[in-house]
Amino acid sequence: MHYQVDSWGYYMPRMSMGSDPMERVAKLASESAVVIFSLSSCCMCHAVKRLFCGLGVNPTVYELDQDPRGKDMEAALMRLLGNSQAVPVVFIGGKLIGAMDRVMASHINGTLVPLLKEAGALWL
Amino acid sequence: MNVPTGLIQQEGSAFGFGELEEAIVLQGLNIRNDEAKAPLFGTGRPAATLEMFPSWPMRFKQTPRGSSKSGGGSTDSGSAVNTISSKTENQLEPESPISTKNTAPLDHQQEMMASDVSRTGQEKRRGSTSEKQLDAKTLRRLAQNREAARKSRLRKKAYVQQLESSRIKLSQIEQDLQRSRSQGFFLGGCAGALGNISSGAAIFDMAYSRWLEDDQRHMSELRTGLNAHLSDSDLRIIVDTYISHYDEIFRLKVVAAKADAFHLITGMWTTPAERCFLWMGGFRPSELIKMLISQLDPLTEQQVMGIYSLQHSSQQAEEALTQGLEQLQQSLTDTIAGGPIIDGMQQMAVAIGKLANLEGFVRQADNLRQQTLHQLSRILTVRQAARCFLMIGEYYGRLRALSSLWTSRPRESMMSDEHSCQTTTDLQMVQPSQNHFSEF
Repeated sequence: MHYQVDSWGYYMPRMSMGSDPMERVAKLASESAVVIFSLSSCCMCHAVKRLFCGLGVNPTVYELDQDPRGKDMEAALMRLLGNSQAVPVVFIGGKLIGAMDRVMASHINGTLVPLLKEAGALWL
Repeated sequence: MNVPTGLIQQEGSAFGFGELEEAIVLQGLNIRNDEAKAPLFGTGRPAATLEMFPSWPMRFKQTPRGSSKSGGGSTDSGSAVNTISSKTENQLEPESPISTKNTAPLDHQQEMMASDVSRTGQEKRRGSTSEKQLDAKTLRRLAQNREAARKSRLRKKAYVQQLESSRIKLSQIEQDLQRSRSQGFFLGGCAGALGNISSGAAIFDMAYSRWLEDDQRHMSELRTGLNAHLSDSDLRIIVDTYISHYDEIFRLKVVAAKADAFHLITGMWTTPAERCFLWMGGFRPSELIKMLISQLDPLTEQQVMGIYSLQHSSQQAEEALTQGLEQLQQSLTDTIAGGPIIDGMQQMAVAIGKLANLEGFVRQADNLRQQTLHQLSRILTVRQAARCFLMIGEYYGRLRALSSLWTSRPRESMMSDEHSCQTTTDLQMVQPSQNHFSEF
């Protein structure tokens, strides 16, 4: 897994930096096959990272507590999920999968792996 | 002095001081008008008195008219009245001022009332000696006291009713507890320590024991459904009902996790044998599937693949959750252990914050369990699913039976032959198709 350190943004302006946090989330989510928004202190985030690594996937992880705009993005994610807990949240192929319970459910009912393959995150 | 039972046990009539004062005043009048006792009880006010405490007039009639002490009257009254009326009688004699009679035993109210009566009595004596009516002021006060007494009676009635309903509820709870105990869910020390578990835990435990009873019912429905060779659609209904039954316990566990995640994670709601296999507050899904795989044949190749895939996914999910929980534990240890405690309270606050995450893990584990059961029912045919759920129920029933046997096993270090034979017989009773262990 690789971590995006986005504080570079100050020195290396990116192409399109949406000021709206939700836009930013969507943008970041579409940039990689598997995107996980996380907090470095969150243990459930650790669990979801371990799950994907265990599957042989290399997810892109954004630690919101290490991001200058992390707070806004957290709030946006909370609204998106309708949850008091913003993280962990998983996007696959740019599409929202959800929080830990949705990820687990989709793994158990066998839909997660096909999605991963479809997004190019997993090869047979 | 005999205490009249009638007065004390009068249903609904609180022994209020309203009646008391009235009685004393009337009695005072009565004593002064020796020969004129009849008019007092003939009409008007005395009749009103009669309405309120029917037995009073009887007592009054029994009062020996001649004696000023009215010793008989005193004995007819309650012990409290005894104190007061004897003191009041004393006060009606001109020589004894009321103040000296208001000794410590009397409470403030009695003093006030007694002195009131004294004033009234003195007023009477000052006024016309032949006056039989009571003046307006006394009338009003008597009315007020009656009102107060009535309110007091109502309050007492409400309180008694509340006590009664609490008593009934308590006996119901005791019955529930007894039943649960006999089924081996609350074991020895646990039951004794009932006061030490949180209310969330207690509520869940009771709900869980009810769920277990329901489980027995559902299982026998499954059994009869299978034996009766019902159509697939009919059997489907029964199977779906059983799945909803499981959904219900998971809903209950969500609430319980929020209230007391420790209770779930330590497995104090289950039996010892189940606790032995506990994983994150419940059964380990991959272990359950492993148990089922051998018993589920015949399976199609696709079904076999599905089941093995399910087992594998479940294992991966369990592993991920376990690692997450391990990180939580490590984080917790780092917070409270080692180094100088610079700010103990701050440290504890942080630790508590981390502990709160425990609820999340128990919830995810239960979510995993629920998803696994649902997926099983999707992979299997209706009949297979029915047999599968029956097997699951029986398996856990046997674990619970094992726990019961274990806790009731003879504790001597050397088991006699008789004992070991007995245990074997008990175990033989636990058969797959029988429901004997429902007694446990």
